[in-house]
Amino acid sequence: MSSGYSFDPESITERLRSEAERAWRTLRFVLRDNSAKVGFAIIVAFGFIGVFGPMLAPYHPIEDTLQQGGSMMRLQPPGGKAVLGTTSFGKDILSQFLAGARPTLIVGLFGGVGTGVVGFLVGLTSGYFGGRVDEFLMRLTDLTFALPFLPMALVILSFVTPSIWIITAVLVTFLWKMPARVIRSEVMTVKERTFVKSARARGAGHLRTMFLHVAPNVLGIGFLYTAYAVGWSIVAGASLAFLGFGDPTTTSWGRMLEQVFRSGAIRVAWWWVLPPAIGIGAVTTGVFLVGRAFEEIVNPDLQTDQE
Amino acid sequence: MSFRRFLLKRTLIAALLTLIAVSVIFATLRLLPADPFSGLVASGSLTPDEVDQMRALYGLDEPIYVQYYKYIQNLFSFQFGISLTQQRPVGDIIIPALVNTMVLLLPALVATAIVSSLAGMYAGWNRGSWFEQSSIVVTTVFRATPIFVTGIFLLIIFSYGLGWLPAFGMRSSLANPDGYLETYLSVDFLKHYLLPFTATVLFYSGDFLMLARNSVVERMGSEFLMLHRAKGLSEMEQLGRAGRNSLLPLVTYFALRTGMLFQGVITLEVVFAWPGIGRALVQAILNQDYPTVQAAVFIMALAVIIMNLTADVAYAKLDPTVEAGDV
Repeated sequence: MSSGYSFDPESITERLRSEAERAWRTLRFVLRDNSAKVGFAIIVAFGFIGVFGPMLAPYHPIEDTLQQGGSMMRLQPPGGKAVLGTTSFGKDILSQFLAGARPTLIVGLFGGVGTGVVGFLVGLTSGYFGGRVDEFLMRLTDLTFALPFLPMALVILSFVTPSIWIITAVLVTFLWKMPARVIRSEVMTVKERTFVKSARARGAGHLRTMFLHVAPNVLGIGFLYTAYAVGWSIVAGASLAFLGFGDPTTTSWGRMLEQVFRSGAIRVAWWWVLPPAIGIGAVTTGVFLVGRAFEEIVNPDLQTDQE
Repeated sequence: MSFRRFLLKRTLIAALLTLIAVSVIFATLRLLPADPFSGLVASGSLTPDEVDQMRALYGLDEPIYVQYYKYIQNLFSFQFGISLTQQRPVGDIIIPALVNTMVLLLPALVATAIVSSLAGMYAGWNRGSWFEQSSIVVTTVFRATPIFVTGIFLLIIFSYGLGWLPAFGMRSSLANPDGYLETYLSVDFLKHYLLPFTATVLFYSGDFLMLARNSVVERMGSEFLMLHRAKGLSEMEQLGRAGRNSLLPLVTYFALRTGMLFQGVITLEVVFAWPGIGRALVQAILNQDYPTVQAAVFIMALAVIIMNLTADVAYAKLDPTVEAGDV
């Protein structure tokens, strides 16, 4: 290649290793913050339940109806066979809680990562090329800002049968604008820096300059917004499920809240309300706590010396 | 670019966006598989002929472009048509709901904007202090937790657990107030108001606190503050100067938040059965009541577009360093 770089496997692994080291250093730095430690622990626990929860559950969350003395156990407070009590249909709440983490995790993870990736690419393209490309993409973000997210999502989900994947797609469609804007403005500063100009001068193509020279410098912000997008996706997914527009075939935490609310059992059955409510609140808080600590590193403006 | 040209350009873009947004809403709603009347044939309540009459009455039998043209024309003259399920003008359903939402949210937003911004400036000024750390953690918890989850917690503690406050609606079922004044100025209303108000305040406190704190932190090392310190101003006076300079992001953010207000609290209104526009929208969607859905989504979109425009203009007006050409 004329630019003096080559794409041999060695330099790629070398590069990946240095990026991985950077990520590891950053993580260690983030975790020096106490609230980030708590947040990280919550996320790890949540991921664990999300993956292994259905296997740990003592009963099937939907199919098993708990019986006692020949009659269905309706709205039993915690204790005995059902450690966390039962729903008004005699289902085990602990099992529903354990199984319900997975759909929440999937929507959060894929919605967040999808948002991060799309937003990053749009922001990078828009900021790097500027001009008409930028104008077009930014008007597109204006449009998605103008279309109210939750109402539009409700309308769309009212005529397609909601599944986890459709919900994820809807989330990405409406959320990508957030990282896109921020990345764009970061890229606009980075591309004026000398090393980018010198790369161009040495004959590096647009794609190469964009991804190898500009992108690594805005990766931090990209990750930050991906983390926040995971939080937003979990919130949005839970909100949709709570309003009755979730995937009807799965038990998610949002759907548990919907059922306890709709059935009116919310008046008495605190044991049915608390696990999913605390679960959702804890996970989103965990994500934001880690995000905040990360932001202190990524946002250079916040690094003033203390006198 | 002069300010006038900037204003003109942004306004034009906003108008164009509104048009595109309502077109998207129109297209999305026409994709719905069936109108509400077809279902009535299957259940035997209407004959197919009657359905045709109903469709003609609501203009659903006309070609799509005629429907579209009429729809645009009506929306911009705020004629929202007649509800398909409630047999009364959509305006009569939407406007009171809109008022109820604003009565709930505007005071909450103003209250939290003032209190949390002041707290945030104080936190930023005392960076590393106990107050800064704990206020950030507490508000992050409420900012991160979905607003309806916070609402549910408040509900099961203060309504169902302690029995202190009513759980839903805007007034007790026996109250029958007349007119807006009597509706909103009563002890009964206040009791119903307290929980959703608290949930909203807690939810929005985090953003204002962080914004105010960050912008004070960003200005801590700046020269103008060193000058003020050298002049011998007290800590509080310096904070006052730094705070004034930190107002810009807060004002912008306040405008943006106000725009998102109407759509932001759909779940909250459902939790507390608050008869606002969000809850009206959810019910209209469940009843397949297009005109009401259209009107509600249109109002929500319009609010965002107008407030975004306001934020842009306020930003350009307030910040002398913004080069309007770049916006």
